[in-house]
Amino acid sequence: MSLLISVKEAEFTFIREKTNATAGNLSVQVQKLKDAGYIEVIKQFKDNYPQTTCKVTPAGLKAFEDYVKALQQYLKV
Amino acid sequence: MANETKFSEQESLQLIAEMIKKAKGSYHDTGIGSLLWGSVVSIASLMNFLQRTYDFKLWFDIWWLVLAAIIPQVYISIKEKKIQKAKQYDDDLVNAVWLVFGISLFAMGFYQNIVPFQVEKTIAEEGWTLMKHFTDGRPDEVIRPFTPSLYSIYILFYAFPTMVTGLVKKFNPMKYGAIITYGLFFLSLFTESRFDMLLGSIAALVCWFIPGVILRKKYLAQTRPNV
Repeated sequence: MSLLISVKEAEFTFIREKTNATAGNLSVQVQKLKDAGYIEVIKQFKDNYPQTTCKVTPAGLKAFEDYVKALQQYLKV
Repeated sequence: MANETKFSEQESLQLIAEMIKKAKGSYHDTGIGSLLWGSVVSIASLMNFLQRTYDFKLWFDIWWLVLAAIIPQVYISIKEKKIQKAKQYDDDLVNAVWLVFGISLFAMGFYQNIVPFQVEKTIAEEGWTLMKHFTDGRPDEVIRPFTPSLYSIYILFYAFPTMVTGLVKKFNPMKYGAIITYGLFFLSLFTESRFDMLLGSIAALVCWFIPGVILRKKYLAQTRPNV
């Protein structure tokens, strides 16, 4: 979520590269975020190859902001 | 199966900061577009200066080179879009600024060619003409209307999208390039039009070519480990 929050949209391969996660692990996390309505997942074909693009939804943005605020309050940052 | 790792609050904040930093650092223009336009505009301006200084002509108009550069630019844009894995929020803004810049330059070309012709037509209809009168006794010459020191406006134009890109992308070489170009614009107000060409050539170098070299180096450094 922290990675996606900084960009408008990102490809699955980009997220995997930046988080150093395995494809399987990341797929599970992406699905969880999608189910929660925090991210939108767009699956399409680009040059005959499947391409998965993720982007944060307004609900995801709100949830992330609330989470950071809660963390900051807890740590009194 | 995915392994869940429990983070402390401190670690969570640290991870968020780290990921945001990674995403922000992921901006990498390949630099090819900047190198292309920097070299093409610089060569065309310099050649124009040389032609006027040493009084020779090429078999073609050097500015056609700038127009021809649109073709590789379209190819570069399509290729870059294909390799772009993440889209930043400000990408659309920067692209829009460069598009408007391109349209404006194109329109300026029309202005430069149409306005003198229209002025000539209008004054001919009114029954008068522009004359160059020499104070040393030489015979008067008819002069065709022209837009004085127009290349100064082009130099000013070069600085605009460069400064916006530099500020939005926080890319100092473009900011400095634009600042130098604003200086060149002021300088060009006091110079003869052929020297404006030379200043324009320097402007293209500092606005695009040098930042392009820096971008290219950065891009190659970022992509090297992935090859």
